[in-house]
Amino acid sequence: MYNFDTSVILESIPFLIEGMKITLFISVISSICAFLIGLIIVFFRTMGSKPLKFIAVSYVEIIRNTPLLIQLYFIYKSLPAIGLMLPPIGCGILALSVYTGAFISEVLRAGINSVASEQYQASISLGLSKFQTFRLVIFPQAIRIIIPPLGSQFINAIKNSSLVSFISVTDLFYRVYKGAVDDFRFFEFFITGALIYMVLTGTVALLTNIFENQFKIQGRTAKA
Amino acid sequence: MHWTDIAENYDFLMKGLFITLKLAMVSVSGSLIIGIILGVLRYSKLFLLSWFAVAYIESVRSIPLILFIVFIHFGALPYLTGEPSSFFVSACVAFIIFTSAYIAEIIRSGLNSVEKGHIDAAKSLGLNRMQRLTYIILPLAVSRMTPALVSQFISLIKDTSLASTIGLIELTRSGEIIYERTYHETEILIFIAFVYFVICFGLSKLSALWETKPYMCTEHREPVGANQ
Repeated sequence: MYNFDTSVILESIPFLIEGMKITLFISVISSICAFLIGLIIVFFRTMGSKPLKFIAVSYVEIIRNTPLLIQLYFIYKSLPAIGLMLPPIGCGILALSVYTGAFISEVLRAGINSVASEQYQASISLGLSKFQTFRLVIFPQAIRIIIPPLGSQFINAIKNSSLVSFISVTDLFYRVYKGAVDDFRFFEFFITGALIYMVLTGTVALLTNIFENQFKIQGRTAKA
Repeated sequence: MHWTDIAENYDFLMKGLFITLKLAMVSVSGSLIIGIILGVLRYSKLFLLSWFAVAYIESVRSIPLILFIVFIHFGALPYLTGEPSSFFVSACVAFIIFTSAYIAEIIRSGLNSVEKGHIDAAKSLGLNRMQRLTYIILPLAVSRMTPALVSQFISLIKDTSLASTIGLIELTRSGEIIYERTYHETEILIFIAFVYFVICFGLSKLSALWETKPYMCTEHREPVGANQ
């Protein structure tokens, strides 16, 4: 039977907590940026002119159909060539925002498409502009439907943030791996790391549930 | 720009692409089998079985994939077998464990999506449990699950790039090996991204075709949209 040594873990708890803070920092910042990117993209896509629509669609398709690791390497290794020097953590946040933004824009689009088309016609007949329609009529209705998939995108952002360790950011995964290699204690460190990730993602899942109940309109069920 | 790098190392890159595709195929078949078992367990009414499936699915889904890959390659498999594990095997095991949890969820929601009316109708026609599953529930569920399964397969293909981190020479790693020698990262990375894009985008377009086949649509969908 494997000799499970808890003392190594207890010793390196502060080391891991430090990594957890970095992971949290990266995922929170990039989730916020990704949400903004997603909003802009989905506005272009649903209400923009033809060229804007084309740009939005190609952005989403290119980002969604290439691995995050490649995008991360690309930002880390190729941006300095055109004179844009970012610290590793900035590269990580940029890559993660761009990647998650594409997915969030798809989530938002699904939510917007689920709003009945009479709503558009009604707001047009009231004389609202496109942006006003989006901001005042469509978005408040769509946001209620998309809270659960949005939450799962934020969870994905936390999980994907583990990849920044490959561009030398000392996040949680980096520290888990380093601890495991240094002490040769793979089981202890990886189980602890997995537990910490589960706590982080579980918290987001819980918050999603709370928000979903908070924003629910009484007597109305989401149809998408 | 140094695009000739790609032409010079074309065979090497294609060898990497072959490994990537092999890895994806093996992993997707393995995870389909395990995912179906888990999904049916999750669907079953026996508390212990469905509880086990829920615990597995939820815990796997909340842990990053890279944790599995590295742990299985350097920790679990060497410990279990007593010798260093091969890159390909550990990557496969990690992908199967990870993807099967997602596939199980797809299977479950597909099974749940079959309306009770269909099942009642089958019952009233005198079909037994097995016949109901094979003739009524599965054909409906499978046609509804296909888009989700394809998109899971696409994200599996993208995730195979993570196998490069333990040293498996697949597409990403072979590109890395090239640009570590030549220092022309941009060209190689764009080329690799393009290859991944062609595969994944092609697959997603194929699945979209499948989705719009009229006989696959079991319910009437109102064409709602922003641009109407």
